[in-house]
Amino acid sequence: MAHSRSHIWFVGPAVLLMFVILILPIFVAGIFSFTDYNLGSTDFRWIGWKNYEALGKYSAYRKMFTASLTYVVIVVPVSVFLGLGSAMLISSLRFGGEFYKAIFFLPVMATLLAMAYAWEFTLDPVMGVLNKVLDDGCSVGWFYKFFTGSWLGFNPTESWYGGLCSDRMPNWLGNKKYALGAISFIGIWQAFGFNMVLYLAGLMAVPRDLYAAAEIDGANSTWEKFKLVTWPMLGPTHVFVVTITSIRSFQVFDTVEALTRGGPSKSTYVMVYAMFEKGVKQNLIGMGSTLTIVFLGFVLLLTLTQVFFINRKVHYS
Amino acid sequence: MAEIKLKGISKSFDDNKVIKSLDLSIENGEFITIVGPSGCGKSTLLRIIAGLESQSSGDVIIDGREVNKVRASERDLAMVFQSYALYPHLSVQQNLMVPLKLRRLSRLERFPLLNWFLPNRRSKIIELEEKVLQAAETLQITHLLGRKPGQLSGGQQQRVAVGRAMVREPVAFLMDEPLSNLDAALRVHMRAEISELHRTLKTTFIYVTHDQAEALTMSDRMAVMMDGEILQLDTPTEIYNKPLNLQVAEFIGSPKINILPAESDDKGEITCMGLTMTQSLRSPKQGDILLGMRPEHTDLLTSNSKNCFNGKITYKENLGSDIYLHVILKEGQHKMIVRTEPGKALDAKIGDNVKIGLIEDKLMAFEKNGQYLPIKSQS
Amino acid sequence: MKQRTNWGSEAGKHIVLIVGALVVILPFYLMLSFSFKSPSEIQSISGGFFGAQEMMTDHRCLKAGRSEVECTMLPIVYNYRAAFEEAPLLRYLLNGVIVTLSIFAIQVLIALPCAYALAKLKFWGRDVVFGMVIFCLLIPVHAIAFPIYLMLAKIGLTNTYAALIIPWTISVFGIFLMRQFFKTVPDDLINAARMDGMSEFSIVWKVMLPTAIPALLAFAIFSVVAHWNDYYWPRIVITGDHDLMTPPLGLRMFKSDMDGNEYGPMMAAATVIVAPLVVAFLLAQRRFIEGITLSGMK
Repeated sequence: MAHSRSHIWFVGPAVLLMFVILILPIFVAGIFSFTDYNLGSTDFRWIGWKNYEALGKYSAYRKMFTASLTYVVIVVPVSVFLGLGSAMLISSLRFGGEFYKAIFFLPVMATLLAMAYAWEFTLDPVMGVLNKVLDDGCSVGWFYKFFTGSWLGFNPTESWYGGLCSDRMPNWLGNKKYALGAISFIGIWQAFGFNMVLYLAGLMAVPRDLYAAAEIDGANSTWEKFKLVTWPMLGPTHVFVVTITSIRSFQVFDTVEALTRGGPSKSTYVMVYAMFEKGVKQNLIGMGSTLTIVFLGFVLLLTLTQVFFINRKVHYS
Repeated sequence: MAEIKLKGISKSFDDNKVIKSLDLSIENGEFITIVGPSGCGKSTLLRIIAGLESQSSGDVIIDGREVNKVRASERDLAMVFQSYALYPHLSVQQNLMVPLKLRRLSRLERFPLLNWFLPNRRSKIIELEEKVLQAAETLQITHLLGRKPGQLSGGQQQRVAVGRAMVREPVAFLMDEPLSNLDAALRVHMRAEISELHRTLKTTFIYVTHDQAEALTMSDRMAVMMDGEILQLDTPTEIYNKPLNLQVAEFIGSPKINILPAESDDKGEITCMGLTMTQSLRSPKQGDILLGMRPEHTDLLTSNSKNCFNGKITYKENLGSDIYLHVILKEGQHKMIVRTEPGKALDAKIGDNVKIGLIEDKLMAFEKNGQYLPIKSQS
Repeated sequence: MKQRTNWGSEAGKHIVLIVGALVVILPFYLMLSFSFKSPSEIQSISGGFFGAQEMMTDHRCLKAGRSEVECTMLPIVYNYRAAFEEAPLLRYLLNGVIVTLSIFAIQVLIALPCAYALAKLKFWGRDVVFGMVIFCLLIPVHAIAFPIYLMLAKIGLTNTYAALIIPWTISVFGIFLMRQFFKTVPDDLINAARMDGMSEFSIVWKVMLPTAIPALLAFAIFSVVAHWNDYYWPRIVITGDHDLMTPPLGLRMFKSDMDGNEYGPMMAAATVIVAPLVVAFLLAQRRFIEGITLSGMK
């Protein structure tokens, strides 16, 4: 072990940067969250918890929490489920696995903003492919019957799709009923490939012998083996995937800023976008800092929950 | 309890013929070991019997019934894996319950939450738990029932693995090198335990190992397998004393049997290293042969002996109860291992010249191609 | 396990996967396809993948007073030329390259020695520093973007390359990853180097670096992809100077600058921005997947 002083030079810059870039800002945000500072004014006042109270008071912020949480609640389960499902399907294929893996992973690599515009165009109410297909489908017998549920006995004109056919295909990103759904869809599209890769790694790590033991014990079907071996052995992977996906979902910004700007009527007003709007666009430093602290709190909570779970429930040895 | 027969079993992976046409008949209730060096195909054979691997050709017949198309979970065989393959997320008790639950409870009864409503389930579960307790007592792991496999030692995990196989009361136990991962002392102890288990349960045990000592001590019969073929199937004593060929003779017995070149004349008389043996071949044939003598059938002679081999010690292994001398013979520089008692070889040092005698009625003779040649006075 | 393939279920799996693949590919397909098409084809969604490639007339160019001949060209040419000319796409790409490479280079410069010290050197406070690294791993960079922006605004550094690069120079993930890797390097290798008279500094760059190439590669991929695609930070920190925009930001500006109907050029620009990483990915899939996955493994 070296006794030279070289370690100071090695570790010094990193420590300095960690402090200035990662730790100091938290304190800065913390302090300003208690003020009403805005960039441009020369002085500011200490207003205590007012900003935090505002979070509870104004409907805009309530919508923010709703939007963020709804987004997370939609995106996380679906993208985890799709990730696991595709991983299981792909790992059980005889050939072609690499091909599907590459395709499903593409969205993770591609610049989200660019792809968001491609999706925006697809979802365009007049020129978008989706609405074109849905529209044409109104006159295609089997398609119409299937999606209106008339084959199940429902009255087609009363169904959702039937209603759209007689009226107009929705403006997905411009309609407050659908906007968050559309954004969520894009988020899922982008995220599940990552989860798939993580699950593939997890599946590979399951010892082959366990499947043989399960078979000998009487686990006949794929479902039985899944319940007995696959699902439990994926325990650590589950915790990991859910946490990562949740944290990333909280951080959604690109699609919102580019496509809906938090609207319509704040239905997609997610936390990070609010931070951006208040702090950067409107220069409300105080409020922006408050939002930063709240956001940090959520993320920390999520991460610590993961650590807790890893150590307790999933502790095998 | 069942008779298991293998007829014409062969197995190839791509172009690699791992098992060549093989026949084996396993008696009801016997402890049979399939022993051979790594890569000889024994584990594959076991997996074929279990149904985890399908054979390229041939039949597996259990109790008169051909089970080629029957899957592993339905063959009523239990298996103990080399890695134990215990479910890490379940406690020992739950591990032991798995095979019972999967077989004795119907699918509905196993469905989570819903099954609380089924009346019979409670009593069935209690029955199964009883069975688990019995098995645990037999194996002395009752105090471990609440723990998870990760918290157990190798020996304990091994017992749990055996327990999981036991609770099902299968027609046969298949064991794939179960003791390989244990340390030497534990292995010796577990050998006795497994034999005891066999005596108690009286079920057929099919045991695979590369350790010939395990095979010799535990089996009713053993099958020596090499390169995908069974070279000899017999009781341990027979295999030890009357190996059918050189390969078997060299594989069984530790330290390895000494093999020296010899000649036989047309009267069957055997000459080795210039020494004529008192034993002669039953079917006389002139030619070069190989003579085999196990180290424990050799001895160190006093320095004035006459009819013996001459050699020089190259290495001395003192095991406490025996001393093995590695010797290089004067004639032809052939190597030999001689077993002798500690008393006799106390002062023996590397480089010493020694005289080696043989217990001649334990000699074995082989053709150059390895085929066993019977010796006249032996039965 | 049984070797018999159930072709029925195999086919079923492929069907499901193909449907999924089609949905996943859809935006890529459309983006590429529209970058080839003329405005009328885009509006009516016709023309197959490549578009009919009939000569089209650029009305804006006519309005600007140029001749008919100059203003007639193939749609694909029109789209891509507009993308490169109206948005300074080349400039954006260049910025992307400068920023991404600078970030990675500095990250390595800072992280590698620190990782080495944490893994192989004993010094007072080592555990404290490592604790700091772990703690910082918990901090999501989105969260502190705002206060950093504030600090930069105060010193007047917004709208500079420095602003784009500096906050990312410290990669705790990189330190952590490299440290784990370095721990597996045998001490004797380092002791031998010391005996040979190498300074600690040389050891880091001449001994540790070569052994760490695989991990570095993964780290490189993770860093390059993340920063090439980053939109949030540049959006905050570059507020006026178009010349400094990174590709995603540039695309955004292009969109707000253009008048409604320039979908063709927009998609062309999008294609150009997305293409490098996608192509690199398709060429070296395994490396990419390793790199991105490792990022989560902390």
